[in-house]
Amino acid sequence: MGHARHFTRLFVLIAIVVIAFLGARAKVVPKDFGKLGHFRASAIAEAAAREPRHIGSEACSDCHAKVSAAWTAGKHSTPQCENCHGPGLLHVKVMSEDSVDAYPDRIKNNPNALRVTSGIQECEWCHLKTFERPSTLKSIKNVEQHISETGEKFTSRSKCIDCHNPHTTVVK
Amino acid sequence: MTNLWDKPEITRREFLEKCADAGAKTFVFGGLVVTTAKLLLPQEATTRWSARRKGAEKEVIYGFVVDTTRCIGCGSCVRACKAENNVPDGFCRTWVEQYTFFPNGEVVVNSPAGGENGFGDELPDRNLPEELGQLPVRGFFVPKLCNHCINTPCIQVCPVGASYKTKEGVVLVDPQRCVGCGYCVQACPFGSRFLNPETKIADKCTWCYHRITKGMKPACVVSCPAKARIFGNVNDPKSEISQILATNRVQVLKSYLGTNPRTRYIGLDSEVI
Repeated sequence: MGHARHFTRLFVLIAIVVIAFLGARAKVVPKDFGKLGHFRASAIAEAAAREPRHIGSEACSDCHAKVSAAWTAGKHSTPQCENCHGPGLLHVKVMSEDSVDAYPDRIKNNPNALRVTSGIQECEWCHLKTFERPSTLKSIKNVEQHISETGEKFTSRSKCIDCHNPHTTVVK
Repeated sequence: MTNLWDKPEITRREFLEKCADAGAKTFVFGGLVVTTAKLLLPQEATTRWSARRKGAEKEVIYGFVVDTTRCIGCGSCVRACKAENNVPDGFCRTWVEQYTFFPNGEVVVNSPAGGENGFGDELPDRNLPEELGQLPVRGFFVPKLCNHCINTPCIQVCPVGASYKTKEGVVLVDPQRCVGCGYCVQACPFGSRFLNPETKIADKCTWCYHRITKGMKPACVVSCPAKARIFGNVNDPKSEISQILATNRVQVLKSYLGTNPRTRYIGLDSEVI
């Protein structure tokens, strides 16, 4: 039977292909792939590991007790500290290192650190008049018109916080 | 011309024997293939289902409710999300749409920068067509985010297994597996996904998975001053979201697509797409 040789060749060829495939698969596919479904199981823990950047208003009150108390007691306690001031994680990290000297540059140049508030824009986010906003929300058409209505003089340097306390809404 | 009926090429006995032989071979070989496949391939289905059956009551299933009647369109959620998740400029994981209705039936939808800088009638990006020339009759804001569907079109199309769903029902992207092909971006009927130009991979709302697994709320929920966003465990009947779902009539976006979103809306208008 001269056919046996052909069968052996075919078998060896198939065996090489199968072994090469299994070897390549073992190398390419991560070990925990498919453990919980068609994905890498350890990706879940990796996604959960990231550090939260918004630390919450309670964390702010640890150091800024006075302004925090005024804010909690006032009418403006629904927006949180970080809504206007930005996420606090890096700020806390910088401050706990006691490197206060590094404060301005590191905070201002780092987009993840506290936001430099303008005293107008933060107010406008909620308090600009637009048709879809509820009428119960106090809103103004624009800053210039609002200031001229109150009898004050509008300049390019005018800010909402010149008259309004942003933490308590009390007019100075 | 030969008559086929007179000269059978195979006898009945031979035919039956051959059938039995072929059947036995198929059975043995098929069994071998199936067993090998079972040994080689991961045992996902069995383990997953048995685990689900055991702890069905204790399991945490997250849900999200957006109360459009409370949203004031300040964009705090958009800014908080961008800061929390390093979302590049020009892209949003969550965004706010402004719907304005006119007497002639026209509806204008506007979302400048996803609502990141808030909304205002006097702002240049108010974007109302001039020919309307009439006062709006009705309007509201609709915050949008990933719906974390139960039947996810985005996970189905991923060719590398980079998109997946956790047992809590959160749809996530594995940054190590994603090759940035963008199939999922096109598959999502809600436009919730985008290709991040910095990381070059698919990016989407994770319901702040890194926060909720630490017992915190998503950044957009914490920052909402109007309490328009409610997040929690829908499997816990005492949670805030369960109470809200029990006492409100809720709707989902594009229900006709059958994706079965876990993000539900209060006060959703039929014009909202």
